[in-house]
Amino acid sequence: MTQNAENVLDHFELFRGPEYQQMLANKRALFENAHDPAEVERIREWAKTPEYREKNFAREELTINPAKACQPLGAVFASVGFESTLPFVHGSQGCVAYYRSHLSRHFKEPTSCVSSSMTEDAAVFGGLNNMIDGLANSYNMYKPKMIAVSTTCMAEVIGDDLNAFIKTSKEKGSVPAKFDVPFAHTPAFVGSHVTGYDNALKGIIEYFWDGKAGSEPKLERQPNKKINFVGGFDGYTVGNIREIKRIFELMGIEYTILADNSDVFDTPTDGEFRMYEGGTTLKDAANAINAKATVSMQQYCTEKTLAFIESHGQQVVAFNHPVGVSATDDFLMTLSRITGKSIPKGLEQERGRLVDAMADSSAHIHGKKFAIYGDPDLCYGLAGFLLELGAEPTHVLSTNGTKAWEEKMQALFAGSQFGKDCHAYPGRDLWHMRSLLFTEPVDFLIGNTYGKYLERDTGTPLIRIGFPVFDRHHHHRYPVWGYQGGMNVLVKILDKIFEEIDKNTNVVGKTDYSFDIIR
Amino acid sequence: MTSLSATIQDAFNEAACAKNANKSEAARKKGCTKQLQPGGVAGGCAFDGAKIALQPFTDVAHLVHGPIACEGNSWDNRGSASSGPDLWRRSFTTDMHEIDVVFGGEKRLYKAIKEIIDKYDPPAIFVYQTCVPAMIGDDINAVCKFAAARFGRSVIPVNSPGFVGSKNLGNKLAGEALLEYVIGTQEPDRTTPYDINLIGEYNLSGELWQIKPLLDEIGIRILSCISGDGKYREVACSHRARVAMMVCSKAMINVARKMRERYGIPFFEGSFYGIQDTSEALRKIALMLIERGAPPQLLERTEAAVAREEAKAFAAIERFKTRFAGKKVLLVTGGVKSWSVVAALQEAGLEIVGTSVKKSTSEDKERIQKLMGHDAHMIEDLTPREMYKMLKEAKADIMLSGGKSQFVALKAAMPWLDINQERCHAYMGYVGIVKLMEEIDKALYNPIWDQLRTPAPWDNAEGNWQAKALAQVHVSATGGAPSSVGAEKAPHAKRTRSRKTVELSIIEDCVPAHGSTAVDTMAQDTNASAASKRASENKMPAQPVSALQAAE
Repeated sequence: MTQNAENVLDHFELFRGPEYQQMLANKRALFENAHDPAEVERIREWAKTPEYREKNFAREELTINPAKACQPLGAVFASVGFESTLPFVHGSQGCVAYYRSHLSRHFKEPTSCVSSSMTEDAAVFGGLNNMIDGLANSYNMYKPKMIAVSTTCMAEVIGDDLNAFIKTSKEKGSVPAKFDVPFAHTPAFVGSHVTGYDNALKGIIEYFWDGKAGSEPKLERQPNKKINFVGGFDGYTVGNIREIKRIFELMGIEYTILADNSDVFDTPTDGEFRMYEGGTTLKDAANAINAKATVSMQQYCTEKTLAFIESHGQQVVAFNHPVGVSATDDFLMTLSRITGKSIPKGLEQERGRLVDAMADSSAHIHGKKFAIYGDPDLCYGLAGFLLELGAEPTHVLSTNGTKAWEEKMQALFAGSQFGKDCHAYPGRDLWHMRSLLFTEPVDFLIGNTYGKYLERDTGTPLIRIGFPVFDRHHHHRYPVWGYQGGMNVLVKILDKIFEEIDKNTNVVGKTDYSFDIIR
Repeated sequence: MTSLSATIQDAFNEAACAKNANKSEAARKKGCTKQLQPGGVAGGCAFDGAKIALQPFTDVAHLVHGPIACEGNSWDNRGSASSGPDLWRRSFTTDMHEIDVVFGGEKRLYKAIKEIIDKYDPPAIFVYQTCVPAMIGDDINAVCKFAAARFGRSVIPVNSPGFVGSKNLGNKLAGEALLEYVIGTQEPDRTTPYDINLIGEYNLSGELWQIKPLLDEIGIRILSCISGDGKYREVACSHRARVAMMVCSKAMINVARKMRERYGIPFFEGSFYGIQDTSEALRKIALMLIERGAPPQLLERTEAAVAREEAKAFAAIERFKTRFAGKKVLLVTGGVKSWSVVAALQEAGLEIVGTSVKKSTSEDKERIQKLMGHDAHMIEDLTPREMYKMLKEAKADIMLSGGKSQFVALKAAMPWLDINQERCHAYMGYVGIVKLMEEIDKALYNPIWDQLRTPAPWDNAEGNWQAKALAQVHVSATGGAPSSVGAEKAPHAKRTRSRKTVELSIIEDCVPAHGSTAVDTMAQDTNASAASKRASENKMPAQPVSALQAAE
């Protein structure tokens, strides 16, 4: 017996024991028919060469380690941001289990979301019965105020018509006729989770504004002074939306946050389970039509939504995940311009503090090279902040980035002396990034948890900013927007820089002459 | 007279100090430490001076006798690098408590010495006196003597409690301790005609190691370095060196002079900062060794190495010259020699608008005069307020100083570079100067400075000095009094213009909310059209500082 009840080892330690090592070695030697280790090593080294990079970038069909997720994930993320809303994904239940676990692993909160559990017969005969039964069950079991329907690929491939299905379901009494069931088609084979966010949000707004799927007259816009705010798909939604609310309140702006999921992903532990928490009220969602303008923090998450809102007579403004001083200046000045409210002293002081902190530490970031990957807007915001700090965002890669995004990134690079050796890579994956890191090494990598494989393979230290972050807890509670958010990002980057300096100078008697207390 | 005050008196009566030599007998007796002004901001004390001078000895235990503060605040605060032992980084203190103050701390000190020997077995222990035990009358000399006899180990009292004076005095008192208890107490295994001592070199960021390979190549042996990367045995044998080089001009002049008197080791003052200074120092070492009997081929080897390294270094700094053209530097240094850094900066084409000479000797000042010409701006004692004014008025593009001035520079929105002991880079020798230039270049061109100098883009005119200054620029640009200062600053402007400019419409949109309209006022004053308004806005971040001068 190698495990011992007196002292039970966990898996970190247990399998290092001689018995297990022997077993693994035997398995390798006797059964695996493995390649010659020298050959494995040769290939490993070859995979680091420019020659391999060329082949890698010539890859057409295969995607390896994509840095994106599918539409319904974004749809679920947007839907839970409305008052007592149950996201209902029409399709197979396995997909939905993924969205729930994905969001829960990142936010460390339960994610309530159901599917219509389509099976083989539904695939053959259509999913209408699943929709009828599904809506009825969800309505009765989970008592939502609204069910927001989206779709998985399965339903999309067979061409289920959500509008007709929901109508039929209502006729059959699944849910009351007046019960709100907005919907959006969100096939995973088109776009990514940012597209799904866009579609779902547009679906919900369209539902309320344009007559609830033909069941009521369309709303007439009666302009008021409010501002609608849309965060987009954002792993920092908890911290960010709270920070944005604080800024709005400091400026005295009346606002509606659309898809406000900051509370449902951060419920208190006090003995009560909250299936729904916070969120944009359905009334506010409808009244949002009257707002003066809608501000989106992420252009590529809200292209259709903003176009729809604009067509209803509102001003719309889109940012690209603003991080840092200039980007936040731009955001605040736009708010000021639209609302006529001035930027209060308090925010100006926060600005000064961020500038001060950047000046104090700039020498350590200046001239460092970074690789960034993630959603297109996040990449843009972070790259802008790095340029502001005098760092070089050498490789900026977005699997769900488009040609238009690439042009926008290149324009950003062209506007700074630190951007001249920087490139944007739309539609590429993390295996491409691997080649980039080997052939054109950088000092640091910024990305989500999956970057840890790249960190291990290429030795490029990973700064975890993005979605998902599974292996570090609670980062989503800290904003990355606003001057405070800029400060958080700055500290995150600096922490890693100093950790690396310490790590490189801590060998006793060898490198520790530079293992200094003061950095 | 106690032995401590005698030692202090002796330190003040430094024969090798030109300043001292020119004084009257009475003035000399009074000593040269300026009485600190109560209520004024002051630097470190004599304890700190002694500690930092000796701390780089790596294989000895440094034991601070006193309450926690003295060691607690100074633990490992300098980046002196060690090639081996790390005992010097261990923080040893007797951590005196109330009871020790009442009954005396000598026994506690004795036991602490014993425990260090039991646990760490170092070749020596340096025991530092501090204010509290000095006031209650703990006799550390006696305790050290007793412990040394009892344990058969060198236990050296460093009698430099904080209240006796400045940091500089502490450096000297540390030197006295070395002279009295360490130097000449052991004999080296072998000697060569090429043995030298370096005095007042602390191996910050390992910069001594940028010189050592060169000395090795030429064939010069560092018998002892006081005290960077130093070992106890080396300093104990240091009296057998042939010549000595004083690296830090004032800290340990007493050590150099007394070693010359006692052991006949001639010394010179030199510097490894800057290309030409490094060459000069290497030549001087070679010449002096030859004078003392080393073979004359030494000079040839030195010249060859110098020629090669100079060519490399000059080639390497060439690329900075265009970027540094017209850039002005304010130098506020403590320990690092001002004159030597001045020469180094000039080599790269920087203009020095001022340098502090607080700790410089009169020879130092002469050297600076020679280097900088007669309009040399030597600042005796720059208060933070003056420093701020100077920086803000844009008499300099960058300030090089120690860490304590950092925040003054930053708040005045001025590039700043650390060249004192807490810096992270080694600037010594032919390689170090290139590194220094790289760092200056980075500091000058860091985009954050534009951010610092620019007001929040929605800010109104009355709110801040930048905007006031800009209005002035605009007036002079459209037919007001010509501003030669502004013209001089053209390169300055070019650099800052790259910053993302603010769309005028945005400013106009948000300005009414503030109740005041900077843009409109400017437009009225100057009859500027919308287009020229835009142009003036674009210049906004460009020339605030120079314009401020004009405005005042």
